[in-house]
Amino acid sequence: MNKNKEQLLNKRYRAERRFRLYGQSAIFMALLFLTIFIFKIFSTGYSAFQKTWLIVPVNFDAEMMMIDQNPSKEDLQDADYYDIALKSMADLDQNANDDQKNQLKRMVSYFFEKEIKNEILNDPSLIGKTKEVYLTASDDLDQVFKGNYPRDLPEDQRRVSDYQLKIFDQLVAKGKVESKFNISFFTYADSREAELAGIASSFMGSIFSILVCLMIAFPVAVLAAIYLEEFAPKNRFTDFIEVNINNLAAVPSIVFGLLGLGVLLAIFHLPRSTPLVGGITLSLMTLPTIIIAARASLKAVPPSIREAALAMGASRMQTTMHHTVPLSMPGTLSGTIIGLAQALGETAPLILIGMVAFVNTIPGSPMDPAASLPVQIYIWAESAERGFVEKVSACIMVLLGFLIIMNLFAQIIRHKFEKKWN
Amino acid sequence: MKKNGIKMIKIKAKNVDVFYGKKQALYNIGLDIEENQVTALIGPSGCGKSTFLRCLNRMNDVIDICRVKGEILINDFNINDKSCDVVRLREKIGMVFQKPNPFPKTVYENISYGPTIHGMAQSKQEMDEIVETSLKKAALWEEVKDRLHEPGTGLSGGQQQRLCIARAISVRPEVILMDEPCSALDPIATAQIEELIDELKKEHTIIIVTHSMAQAARVSQNTGFFHLGQLIEHGSTDKIFKNPDNTKTQDYITGRFG
Ligand SMILES: Nc1ncnc2c1ncn2[C@@H]1O[C@H](COP(=O)(O)OP(=O)(O)OP(=O)(O)O)[C@@H](O)[C@H]1O
Ligand SMILES: [Mg+2]
Repeated sequence: MNKNKEQLLNKRYRAERRFRLYGQSAIFMALLFLTIFIFKIFSTGYSAFQKTWLIVPVNFDAEMMMIDQNPSKEDLQDADYYDIALKSMADLDQNANDDQKNQLKRMVSYFFEKEIKNEILNDPSLIGKTKEVYLTASDDLDQVFKGNYPRDLPEDQRRVSDYQLKIFDQLVAKGKVESKFNISFFTYADSREAELAGIASSFMGSIFSILVCLMIAFPVAVLAAIYLEEFAPKNRFTDFIEVNINNLAAVPSIVFGLLGLGVLLAIFHLPRSTPLVGGITLSLMTLPTIIIAARASLKAVPPSIREAALAMGASRMQTTMHHTVPLSMPGTLSGTIIGLAQALGETAPLILIGMVAFVNTIPGSPMDPAASLPVQIYIWAESAERGFVEKVSACIMVLLGFLIIMNLFAQIIRHKFEKKWN
Repeated sequence: MKKNGIKMIKIKAKNVDVFYGKKQALYNIGLDIEENQVTALIGPSGCGKSTFLRCLNRMNDVIDICRVKGEILINDFNINDKSCDVVRLREKIGMVFQKPNPFPKTVYENISYGPTIHGMAQSKQEMDEIVETSLKKAALWEEVKDRLHEPGTGLSGGQQQRLCIARAISVRPEVILMDEPCSALDPIATAQIEELIDELKKEHTIIIVTHSMAQAARVSQNTGFFHLGQLIEHGSTDKIFKNPDNTKTQDYITGRFG
């Protein structure tokens, strides 16, 4: 009898130990995958936050720029910078032939003319003088400098020629190549040239889409939830609505994209590729998530609070607005933020409504064409150039950072405003 | 209270049946409640005392599955009638619930909520006064006067119950329904509440549910005894306790069942 009991007890302990082990290995697996994922993203992406510059002496020769010695602001705006830009690059190698001069020119981004122009606009006294100017290196040289470029490939399989590499190495030896924090990754719109591509357009596109989505989905969802939870009679019809809201939450997002395409673009002729349309489409997707969160947090308000208010002679409306809704707000808000975070990472519906178009301008309003961060990731991942590989990872890092901040915010709201009740 | 020797009836329940879904909780209740008197409702757990109390301010409306039949006349007006405005009704019929349920707001806001929504105070001073007198009447003032702006839910269980009493009397209702108001209180606070009930009956009509026979005997003038959804017996407290007609009443009061 006693022995039996002992055995039973041991068996129970063993079962518990086994269960703990399963749990621990599950957590270990999850952490392992997460670490691999994060490590991969960071190790590929961190270099995108650095940008390589070539430091090239430029002689601001008034004659070549076709202006006089004391030009006005307009003159400087309209001056011709192409020739001095070309000459500055060609001067890197005094003995270069025409083909080599062309190769020299392609060592920097096509933006070099503008970079030289900005230099003189900032300091017009440079006219007639020579100054070392920072020029954005071409994306391939950028990768060479970061050590991501396979220099040992045969020349005909590389986009960087041996000649360019030779000059580049000379510049490196002279300390005329520098790596600096890549501000333009955050301030430039997308570009076909990897060295000039930035996330400004897609970042703003995402922000505008999320704002439109929030402005539509939040009020509609909260009102719907309040009505369903506090006012609607409980009958077959409201049950039917409830089931369908839950169904709606499970609809694949691409279906909402088709809806946006078929209704917003085709019937209402809203402007294509804009955060407005994107936001409306995303709001359809977010709506059920917020309704469900809001209803759950309304349900969590104890009925005794409602009874207390009603017994004091508050009307149903007052009971709802003074007590139930404020108490449910933390839950509703954190549900909303989580819904928005989902919407932020959504790609498929936005591709369908045309937010995948190449946009090289930064949108100033939700009515301007824009991309969004996840779509930008998709676009860059599709690109062949080596320079875009790190950009993909960097963009993922920005998106993840954004999502983490939003989720953190949701947590804070939940903890800070959660009131204790009996 | 007697006027020219005739009892003034404040509330008259006639043939009241209550159903929770298909289950009947009250059977054909008929009960008169005298004005400015304390009426105690006693009976074993689950017999329908709270249910009856909730009929009197239509709180059962809140429960979807609950149906109330019959007539309840308050000031000769049937509150189960369609034309009855429940908001006005509940302003006149205050309630203290079985479980304390303060709002998750400050002590002050708990009391000022009723007067605010009914527009009973014109100024901050008037409101302060209402809050103070309500808390004093509920024997809570001394304990909370320094923490009026702290959450009411942070008080002890007994303090919360008194807070709820103070909240109920803040709007000066004609009738106060109390569902076991002393169940969470110590003997001293209970004595204070009983004193308060005695005081309140000058201006209000009070109906109190209690499990304490002693309390019913101490505070009430009339008593109704419920059993399994039926009103077995009612009458003056003296009679019910000393000389009941029904043996069930006798058994319950002497503690032989329930
Ligand atoms: N919300 C409800 N839904 C369904 N049945 C209920 C509900 N509230 C009460 N009942 C039932 O109605 C009957 C009477 O309940 P009531 O709460 O009125 O009893 P009570 O006399 O107040 O008991 P106690 O002394 O324990 O508070 C019980 O059988 C109970 O199960
Ligand atoms: Mg009860």
